[in-house]
Amino acid sequence: MLSMKKINKVFKTDLVETHALRDFDLQVEEGEFVAVTGPSGSGKTTFLNIAGLLEGFTQGEYTLDGVNVSRLNDNQAARIRNEKIGFIFQGFNLIPDLNLAENVEVPLRYRGFNSAERKRRVEQALEQVGLGARMKHLPSQLSGGQQQRVAIARALAGEPRFLLADEPTGNLDSLMARQVMELLEEINRNGTTIIMVTHDPELARRAQRNIQIVDGQVCDFTLYQGGDEPQAARA
Amino acid sequence: MLTHYMDLGWRSIRKTPVLSALMVMAISIGIGITLISLNVFQLMSHNPAGERSSVLHMTQLWSQGPDSWEEYSANLTYQDTMNLRQSDIPVRSVASFRSGGAIHAEGSDAEPEMRSIRVTDSEFFAMFSVPFLYGGSWDKSVDMEAAHVVVINEDLNRTFLGGGNNVGKIIYLDVTPYQIVGIIDHWMPRPKYYDVTNGSMNFAESIYVPFSLTPHEEFPVWGNTSGWQFEPLITYNDRLLSEKTWIQFWAELPDEDAQMQFSQWLTSYVEQQQALGRFTDNTRTSWMRLLDVAEYLTDSEVVPEDNRIMIGLSALFLAVCLVNILGLLLTKFLKRAPEVGVRRAIGASRRQIFLQHMVEVSLIGLLGGVIGLVWAWFGLTTLADHLGMEEALGRLDPSMWIMTPSIALGAAMLAGMYPAWVICRTQPSVYLKSQ
Ligand SMILES: Nc1ncnc2c1ncn2[C@@H]1O[C@H](COP(=O)(O)OP(=O)(O)OP(=O)(O)O)[C@@H](O)[C@H]1O
Ligand SMILES: [Mg+2]
Repeated sequence: MLSMKKINKVFKTDLVETHALRDFDLQVEEGEFVAVTGPSGSGKTTFLNIAGLLEGFTQGEYTLDGVNVSRLNDNQAARIRNEKIGFIFQGFNLIPDLNLAENVEVPLRYRGFNSAERKRRVEQALEQVGLGARMKHLPSQLSGGQQQRVAIARALAGEPRFLLADEPTGNLDSLMARQVMELLEEINRNGTTIIMVTHDPELARRAQRNIQIVDGQVCDFTLYQGGDEPQAARA
Repeated sequence: MLTHYMDLGWRSIRKTPVLSALMVMAISIGIGITLISLNVFQLMSHNPAGERSSVLHMTQLWSQGPDSWEEYSANLTYQDTMNLRQSDIPVRSVASFRSGGAIHAEGSDAEPEMRSIRVTDSEFFAMFSVPFLYGGSWDKSVDMEAAHVVVINEDLNRTFLGGGNNVGKIIYLDVTPYQIVGIIDHWMPRPKYYDVTNGSMNFAESIYVPFSLTPHEEFPVWGNTSGWQFEPLITYNDRLLSEKTWIQFWAELPDEDAQMQFSQWLTSYVEQQQALGRFTDNTRTSWMRLLDVAEYLTDSEVVPEDNRIMIGLSALFLAVCLVNILGLLLTKFLKRAPEVGVRRAIGASRRQIFLQHMVEVSLIGLLGGVIGLVWAWFGLTTLADHLGMEEALGRLDPSMWIMTPSIALGAAMLAGMYPAWVICRTQPSVYLKSQ
């Protein structure tokens, strides 16, 4: 599904060069739920941005869904983001001037669906996250947890193969965080591959598989099954 | 997608009403001023003769003595006019000058009115393609043997005779009765190309009487009379015999052959006159010239140099407005970078972001254009009403309906291109983590 080989990402600013990812190798299979943890500044967001084709990288090879996506132009990358990838961010990132239905509709418009298809998918997605009755509300009229569910609906509406979440529960209290987590688990059960960055070890433990990034490298990954204690840890 | 972008653009415009109003105002004032100067230019530089421009020739003679005027007089003397009318080389030839007098009709409720009158020959109407509603010009024989006949326009017909076919009826110029032989339809060539010497943007006259009546009726001259030497005009006959120039003479010369022949005819005419002691400026090698309509309009400087400078200045002003708008747009768009980051992340390409913002800018431009058109209309009317600009110039030329949206869109896009480009280069990842 997703395969990264020896990915290197160097940020150059006027003063310093930051080696955010170093010979980064990772393999994710179809249908997996992967939780990514690691200290602050270790390169988790950088990894997710590269995985989501939001950023390019300096060296290495990246294959997504059988296609080499290492060197795409802007249009091609935008298209893959639109069709295959769903994003969920810590800050929800809804567009404040658009109501819920319109927010969910945004990626569908770029996809070129007609209005009947868009309407169907928007309703279905908002229904799925339990906000079907609030289509005309503005994001500011919702709680944080509700906003994050809208963001999830937006990511779901395009029926992506692949969901990338960067600390999706980071701004939520633990109850809301659990609800969001349950939603993600349900989505994963329906066949969508999920990669989720989180600082919360409890949430991480609920994922099928855990990887830890330290200093720009995958240093440890652990397979949890059914919330049991770690069974294996490899370097 | 375009309608969606328009919807987004419109929301964005409404979201920052003050900023948007500022931009729309700036662009509308720039456009309004540009439109005013373009409108005036358009009206002045129009050649209403169309296809016949190269066929109609204004005839001018260097009848002045040495050390006087340094250019051709726009008009001819009465004696030269009478002699030129003898030539049968032109298909048509027409002498004319502007006069005026009090008009009234018997049994009409309308008060007598002072109106300007064109004194001319029978073929004036055919030559300048004047449309008739009823009747036609007077008979060609009247050009030789004067008769009190008149052609009036529809406006005068309505005012004094209640409209309708009044051919055969009588109207009075001062106290003299004239029989109506023709009524012309609305006709307003701009510039008034058959005679631009007194107000190129004035309306065409509403009354036309035979030139052959001039010595009998002693029509006052409402146009320019120029003289290059001292000649007192005590009687009207003095004027007719003088070297004063005050009559326009047009010749219709359908091809180069005819033009050549007429030039030769004029040259030998001048030689005859020189034998009689006229055309004494021996520093010259040629004493006559023929100008077609386009040349005549250029030569008469119907479009003054000032007007071109005005266009340049107003374009400069528009440019200043655009630079301001560019700055405002840049600020406005950059504030929206986080939203654009999200859009990029969930599948918008740079092109789509660029388009979205260009559509918004175009909406601002079009709004500015509409208001600019109102400014232009208001400005032109005010100029015409209060600053004594000729009346016809105070109107919006129909070409402005095409000109305005083009200028508005072009200007807005020019100003919006850079901000839209900057925002479409937004690196999505930068804005996603910072929220
Ligand atoms: N645009 C950038 N320019 C320069 N350096 C950057 C940029 N983005 C990230 N970095 C650097 O790359 C390294 C990895 O950053 P990254 O955001 O991936 O960390 P992270 O693991 O997501 O941290 P956190 O848990 O705090 O979100 C950091 O040292 C950071 O300073
Ligand atoms: Mg991060």
